[in-house]
Amino acid sequence: MIAKQTQAAWIVIVSALGLSACAPVSPWQRGTLAKSSMAIEPTPMQTMLSEHTHNSREAASANSSASGGGCGCY
Amino acid sequence: MVVIKHIKAVGRFVSGHLKANQPKGKPQATASPALQALTVAALALPGLMLPAASAAEEDEVDFQYSHYEEGQRDLYGAKSTLHPIQVDSVLGKARVSLSDRIKFAFNYVQDTWSGATPYTTSPLAAGGNEPIRQNTASGKTIVTGASPITETQMYLSKNFVPVAFDTNTGKRLLRTLQPVHVLAMASPETRKQGDFKLGYEWDEAALNIGGGLSVEPDYVSSFGNMGGRLDFNQKLTTLDFGLSYTNSDTSAIMDHDAEPYVIKTAFAQQIQQTGGLSIIHGNRQDWAGSLGLSQILNKNAVVTANIGYTHSTGYMNNPYKAVTIIFADPTSLGSDPSHPQALVGDVKTFLEQRPNERNQFTTGSRYIQHIGFADAALHLDYRFFHDDWGINAHTFEADWVQPIASTWTVTPKIRYYTQDAANFYYPYIISKQAFSKTVITGYDANDLPITTTTAYNPNKLPANFSSDQRLSAFGALSGGVTINKKLSKAISLEAGFEYYTHAGSLKLGGGGDGSYSDFNYYLVNGGLNINLDALGGGGGHDGHHHDGHHAQPPAGVMFGHMLKKTNDIMVGYRYMYSRQAGDMLHGTGVASDKQIQNHGCVQGFTGYCRVTPAYMDMGMHMLDIMYAPADWLNLMVMPQFMDMDMDMRPLKGVTVNPIQDHLHGGHRTGGIGDTGMYALFKMFDNDIHHVHATVGLSAPTGDVDIMIRRMHRKDNGYLHYGMQLGSGTWDFKPSLTYTGQLDDWSWGGQFSATTRMENHNGSGYALGDVFQTTAWGGYTLTRWLSASVRGIYTVQQQIDGQFNPVSGTDSLGNTVSNVNPGSKANYSSGPMDYPTSYGGRYWDVGFGLNFTVPSGTLKGNNVGVEWLQPVQDNVNGYQLQREGAFSATWSVMF
Repeated sequence: MIAKQTQAAWIVIVSALGLSACAPVSPWQRGTLAKSSMAIEPTPMQTMLSEHTHNSREAASANSSASGGGCGCY
Repeated sequence: MVVIKHIKAVGRFVSGHLKANQPKGKPQATASPALQALTVAALALPGLMLPAASAAEEDEVDFQYSHYEEGQRDLYGAKSTLHPIQVDSVLGKARVSLSDRIKFAFNYVQDTWSGATPYTTSPLAAGGNEPIRQNTASGKTIVTGASPITETQMYLSKNFVPVAFDTNTGKRLLRTLQPVHVLAMASPETRKQGDFKLGYEWDEAALNIGGGLSVEPDYVSSFGNMGGRLDFNQKLTTLDFGLSYTNSDTSAIMDHDAEPYVIKTAFAQQIQQTGGLSIIHGNRQDWAGSLGLSQILNKNAVVTANIGYTHSTGYMNNPYKAVTIIFADPTSLGSDPSHPQALVGDVKTFLEQRPNERNQFTTGSRYIQHIGFADAALHLDYRFFHDDWGINAHTFEADWVQPIASTWTVTPKIRYYTQDAANFYYPYIISKQAFSKTVITGYDANDLPITTTTAYNPNKLPANFSSDQRLSAFGALSGGVTINKKLSKAISLEAGFEYYTHAGSLKLGGGGDGSYSDFNYYLVNGGLNINLDALGGGGGHDGHHHDGHHAQPPAGVMFGHMLKKTNDIMVGYRYMYSRQAGDMLHGTGVASDKQIQNHGCVQGFTGYCRVTPAYMDMGMHMLDIMYAPADWLNLMVMPQFMDMDMDMRPLKGVTVNPIQDHLHGGHRTGGIGDTGMYALFKMFDNDIHHVHATVGLSAPTGDVDIMIRRMHRKDNGYLHYGMQLGSGTWDFKPSLTYTGQLDDWSWGGQFSATTRMENHNGSGYALGDVFQTTAWGGYTLTRWLSASVRGIYTVQQQIDGQFNPVSGTDSLGNTVSNVNPGSKANYSSGPMDYPTSYGGRYWDVGFGLNFTVPSGTLKGNNVGVEWLQPVQDNVNGYQLQREGAFSATWSVMF
């Protein structure tokens, strides 16, 4: 079961990367990409808060770069 | 500044591209605003991978408040009156360009939490949540709550299934493996974290270093990180990398209610005994690395992928979580003659024992697609997590970012999370051996038995165990919405809501934990974003800036200036910190412990004090938002966030009673304080002199009903007056301010008052009225720096009324009408528990500096600091001496 899930995870990621073989997009064609709704993190403040909360209630940490967060010992 | 460079580069490109359709000779710099916006936006793209990196393109300041609250847990019939965990947080972020290419970011976070949380999990049949019974006046016994029981005996069937019998009839009530959480109460605690990031940007790369410190009374964590970004393939592809190190020290005072009953032999080397307290020490280190790639797929889609690895070693336990182990000796069958078919088990709790090493791997991908017909963006996110504790987890998330009518953005979100249990997770453990067994091994010469006692064999227990539900198998579904409203180019407001439900049955593929551990929470937040680039970026609002030479009043003076023009807006942040420590005073003189003991608590049950404050720290974060509907009227709203920390010491000559006197680790409180609303009226204004009057109301949004948690099986009533977060009353706050300025000199004076508009608040008392007079002089040293000196005289009256009596149970389980400090049931008290020991007359001198950024994108930003040095205290009753107060302000005008 776990092996299958892991496999599925890799398939999703590899196929996502595979998609990146794509047509070039010139700078003047990037207007849509530049909309704030298209930002990788469209709601950074809220995301920071949600991730902090999820980290204190779940085993999987959302990211692996040190950003503090404290013990969460409650 | 690098953004500008990009704009120029692409601006050239865009203009060149458009040239064919434009009349010749049109200067390049005058591209239409729409185009400019487009190109500016296009250039926000580099640094796609790290949200912080991409956002770092703009100089901005953010403030956010959030409230987290859990729902009640199912205790299977036990009545818990404990409030579930709740957390109040404030977050401040600032990001500024120190030069074109050097970026600096600073974050400050403060959380205060309190409430009931699972301490351990035990079989339902063990009765871990013992009813708290109160004997009422009419002779009835009622159940008013539940109290955790972690050391007891219980019955099990021959097959090691927990059973429970009715104590009166002997009938079997339960035969089940059903676990139930045993809840314990966490007193308010506050965590503070500050961190920074310093970055250098090239045209197609960036490098940054950062670090920070997170401090809780029992956990201190420091961290450093470095990272970078590389753009290539004409910025279609971005590569990110990061490396970090974290070092964390635990030094946790073990809960004095639970400590005598919890077995901690595995940590004997790490436990230090001081003054009757057990403090557990531990160190933990984490190394982490990450790599990310983002790729523009086409003009409407972006994809990202990343991998991460974290290696952790050391003490990774939660010092407040225990595992219940039932020692059931198979040979104990029938040892209780009333239940001959049952085994008798010893219920014990052990501090959780996690492995001291953990390796975590994460990988994930995000796909972002623009949806043309709605002009919206769909974000799809997937993450996979694996560690060598046996946990695999998957996270799926979808966000729909919908802009509406150019100034609104509504973002509904849905998230699903699922994880396996750690391989050392047990709700509880049944060990088929005796906890301790005494056998007769022979008889001595006098025919007296010789006995040998053998303890349990630790090798028969698992090497690692934890009942922390974060390590159990479960799934979680959450959904929410974020709403963003742009008020102007520079200011936007954001509000968010999330509801989260954790359930064993939601685990992907089934096999999750039982429903006993299900819980849910909600999270609400509100924030303010100020874009400093939009402010200084010359959006056509010339003449909009306030005069940089205008003298600012000292940082500690509130309502010290007015906005001059109709429709002006000012946003500011104000921090105040004060500390009391050192001698106890009575009037202007030092009070001896003997004096305090005999005269500080005369109205209490014992008629004398047992404890006295050792120190008290108070911090206040205030947001300062001001608007001028007319040039003679300013409106202002000022929400506040407080945190307080106080510790006590026993008075000399008092024999400490560990049950009565809570002398260790202190008390902390924090959360929203009172909210002020003010109107400022201009009364006189010429080139030199200015006078304005302020009338204000303070709304009682801060808590005044914070109680000390139940300890030693008895209730403890209200926490000291000075530790409550607000006044609890509607207050009237008038003031009159005069300021003057001539050349490099400035001066001013203010009279202000705070009067309570109600006789008492919901808890039975009203703080004393406050009257303050201050006068200052300032000198402008340079174009951007001025200094000030100020004198302050303050009078505060004592507290009117007193805490309402709180009924509760004493240590014998009897209902008593009052359990407040000083009462018969809770006779330990100090001067801080008495209304007469509040208020006084104070002289202070203040020394301040004001910095105003004279030019550049941050032009007009003002930062002020002031230190208030107490000169004389003349206190009512018995109070701690003041050590000083620090004020810091930041403000910017639009």
